[in-house]
Amino acid sequence: MNEAAGMNLSAGQPGRMRLSRAEHRRLHRKARIRRELTGWMFLGPMFACFVVFLVIPVAGTVWWSTRSGSIFGGTKFVGLRNFIELPGTVGAWPAIENTLVFALLSVPLILIGALGIALVLARVEHGASVYRFLVYFPVLVPGVVAALIWLFLTNIDFGLFNDVIRFFGGMPVTWLGADSALTVLAILDVWRNVGYWAMFFVAAIIGLPQELYQAAELDGASVLARFRYLTLPLLRRIVFFAVIVSTIWGLQVFDTALVLTNGGPGTATTTVIYRVWLYVFGSNNKVGFASAISLVLIVAILALTLVQMWLLRDRRGRD
Amino acid sequence: MTAASGNPAYAIELVDVTKHYGKTPVLSGVNLAIEPGEFIALLGPSGCGKSTLLKLIAGLEELTDGEIYVGGRLANYLRPSARDVAMVFQNYALYPHMTVRENLGFPLKMSGVSRDEVRGKVEAAATLLQLNAQLESYPDELSGGQRQRVALGRAIVREPLAFLMDEPLSNLDALLRVEMRTELVRLHKRVGRTTIYVTHDQVEAMTMANRIVLMHRGVIQQVGSPGEVYSTPANTFVATFVGSPPMNLFKGRIESSAGGRMFRGPFDLPVEGLAPPAFADGPVALGIRPEHIHVLDPGDATGLAAVVDLVERVGPDSYLWALANDATSLTARVDAASAIREGDRICIRFPLQHLRLFDAAGTRVAKEA
Amino acid sequence: MGRTLERTARTISTETRRIAADHARARLRRRRRAELGRHLVLALVTFILVAPFYYVFLASLKNSTEIFSYPPKLLPIPPYFGNYRALLWDTGFLRWMFNTLFVAGSVTTLKVFLDSMAGYALAKIDMTGKRAIFLLMLILLMVPIGALIVPLWSLVSALGLTNTYLALILPPLANPLGAILMRQFILGLPRDLDNAARLDGLSEFAIYWRIVLPLIKPGLVVLAVIIFTDQFMSFIWPLIATSSDDLQVLTVGVAALRAHGGANYGLWSASAVMSLVPIGVFFFVLQRQFLARSLAGALKQ
Repeated sequence: MNEAAGMNLSAGQPGRMRLSRAEHRRLHRKARIRRELTGWMFLGPMFACFVVFLVIPVAGTVWWSTRSGSIFGGTKFVGLRNFIELPGTVGAWPAIENTLVFALLSVPLILIGALGIALVLARVEHGASVYRFLVYFPVLVPGVVAALIWLFLTNIDFGLFNDVIRFFGGMPVTWLGADSALTVLAILDVWRNVGYWAMFFVAAIIGLPQELYQAAELDGASVLARFRYLTLPLLRRIVFFAVIVSTIWGLQVFDTALVLTNGGPGTATTTVIYRVWLYVFGSNNKVGFASAISLVLIVAILALTLVQMWLLRDRRGRD
Repeated sequence: MTAASGNPAYAIELVDVTKHYGKTPVLSGVNLAIEPGEFIALLGPSGCGKSTLLKLIAGLEELTDGEIYVGGRLANYLRPSARDVAMVFQNYALYPHMTVRENLGFPLKMSGVSRDEVRGKVEAAATLLQLNAQLESYPDELSGGQRQRVALGRAIVREPLAFLMDEPLSNLDALLRVEMRTELVRLHKRVGRTTIYVTHDQVEAMTMANRIVLMHRGVIQQVGSPGEVYSTPANTFVATFVGSPPMNLFKGRIESSAGGRMFRGPFDLPVEGLAPPAFADGPVALGIRPEHIHVLDPGDATGLAAVVDLVERVGPDSYLWALANDATSLTARVDAASAIREGDRICIRFPLQHLRLFDAAGTRVAKEA
Repeated sequence: MGRTLERTARTISTETRRIAADHARARLRRRRRAELGRHLVLALVTFILVAPFYYVFLASLKNSTEIFSYPPKLLPIPPYFGNYRALLWDTGFLRWMFNTLFVAGSVTTLKVFLDSMAGYALAKIDMTGKRAIFLLMLILLMVPIGALIVPLWSLVSALGLTNTYLALILPPLANPLGAILMRQFILGLPRDLDNAARLDGLSEFAIYWRIVLPLIKPGLVVLAVIIFTDQFMSFIWPLIATSSDDLQVLTVGVAALRAHGGANYGLWSASAVMSLVPIGVFFFVLQRQFLARSLAGALKQ
């Protein structure tokens, strides 16, 4: 070996490889194992929590959805029967319907409202921080507390809404009646979430290239035209992201429905997660249905997540 | 562990160094031996693998195959800090949350050098680089040139076997770049350590390095002094990459006849003696640098007729972009005082001793085998 | 003739200047009017959003007859503190508050630590399967705890953790948002900083601890705020994971006030106001970081 090196001593000529392939492979593997172990020391603790309390429960939902019985013990395998019987099971279909209607009502109102507020707030020259503080404040209210507050707004006798109506000479309204409760719940959600998305849009609007707007103004584009042909197209991805995420959040509504209306009147505001909770803890033989309907929700959320990842894939791919 | 030692006469020795990212080869079979004190420039277009090679030497990436020796020791499996090399990064990579003093002293502190010694070495480096006034500043308070010097200082205080520099001047503005270039050369003369300098700027490579390693697509194209690389390029890639404007290349054929060897292409030219006798007839490329083309009066019938299509004045010289035989474009350098203007007819001649011949594969054909 | 021309020219030029000045004034006026319009819109919006708080705050300082009377008193004079006294002394409110702050604080501390470590591995360490793990995290990012109560509850009770603080603290650690955000933050650091540190002889842990953590401090604060508020607001998991009164968190306790013991509007209003005190204080102090919660969404893209 040294001979080979010696032969190449002339004028900056390198020698040949001196370790055997097998030796290289061994050392290579050793270095690599060391690197992988380092990586797992960093990732491991969080990843363990992720697997135990998220991945396994998601898989567990599939397993539970094939069982019949109670969560407190004594279940048996029933195959796909839970799914087949789910549409006829008490309360299952209204829960899905209520949840969808809730999302369809609240999401557009939240996003249109938020976009409107953001367009104004992004251009305000003085005092923007005060408005931001106030607009954002409802976002920090826990659902339970928000519902409690809305009990004071919607009360027939002394609620703020009816006080206002009475002030203008109208008749008091039953806000939490069977026909209107779900809508009120959706409006509550608008009140609670509009600030979140407004701030999100403000950040996006402030980040838009200012030169484009100056150019458009020189071209004589009106405020509306600028919104229609500049802001909206430029915010397309942002708005799309907001639609998906706020829909996913809308599908999870539970605490406000529990505290404001107890899921009622009847089942008027019983949502999917509310129903899951009732199946598990309000009955002794419906844990399978609870899991089946949970699985429907999980699949819907995963589908929305994947659609979003797919449609926004360009940026993601670049890290 | 098997102790493998390289040739102790070399500061750095690369043996068949190969690197793949997945299935994409980035470096294939790089062999290079660098002697102590050399200033080597790794030159090539972006994506040629020069930066990867530097990172492999530093130990920031793992090689797929081959061996790297630093100071005669096999370095493949050594941690970066155990390799006795220091690196200057393109964007300096200064620690933003540490002062200049802390930045300079950090590597020493980490290797357990005593506080007093750190202090002394940091101050010496600061003096060398004229950074004394900035020692207590944070990187974001410094100018680009000062940051550059701190990055150099951080490498210097470690007194490593070799400096690895990854396009260290590319973030500076043009004026400062020229200034730092001479400063770096001076520094190298004073400190005298082996330096590997990655750059895509041929002027930097030509002015600073004592040897240039030209790379393209992960393969070394040529290793040689700046003069060698310029005047006897190993292949057509080097011929066109080095030099601005690049070497003129004319495609054609070599044909032998009773009258001797002829180049037949856009124009015919006797090229007797340009290739060894054994060289077979066939397709070739003929090259000549712009400054070696003789431009004669239009009346002179001994040369090739051409029409000037553009005159580019660059201070002391002018470059003529001309069309020969109405079809072949070429570049020739003339004195700025020359009265030749666009549209003028000229006559040109190619001196045989400045012609370079490349075979069909693009490799230069040596005059004598 | 020449003079006339000159005069005409001068007239024209003063005329143009006058027009230009007019335009500038008009533009300024327009701008002021637009700004005023914006303030009117925002004032109206914020009034609508904030009025409910004032109404409940008002109610909390009224006795039960005052609450039910119409027209409502618009100022709480004289204030009635009986609701707050009842809330603080006759219910477990202080205990709930302690539980919430303790659980949220523990989750935040642990999670900021674990997530920043995981983010470091995902951003900087070359390990097999990293991409797949990251992808799995992105896919499961949005799955809510509410959809997992069956397997989570059975898992936690199988581990013997029901009715312990651990039952409240461990499951929230699974959420991958923090790791994803931290990865993004760390990728946003200047390139090669970690490489420089490696050459300077730092171990991976030292790079994380001495270089990366100090530099992503703003990101850590934002993450802490996100986790803390999410924990503060969380309801369904604490609701089902605990049955003991001693472990009830704020949201669960307040919901129980509503569910049991009849319609005590005075107590409800006081509990609503008191629940908002800690988060309101945090928000006031860390406004920027709170608002960055919204931006975290934008960052995720």
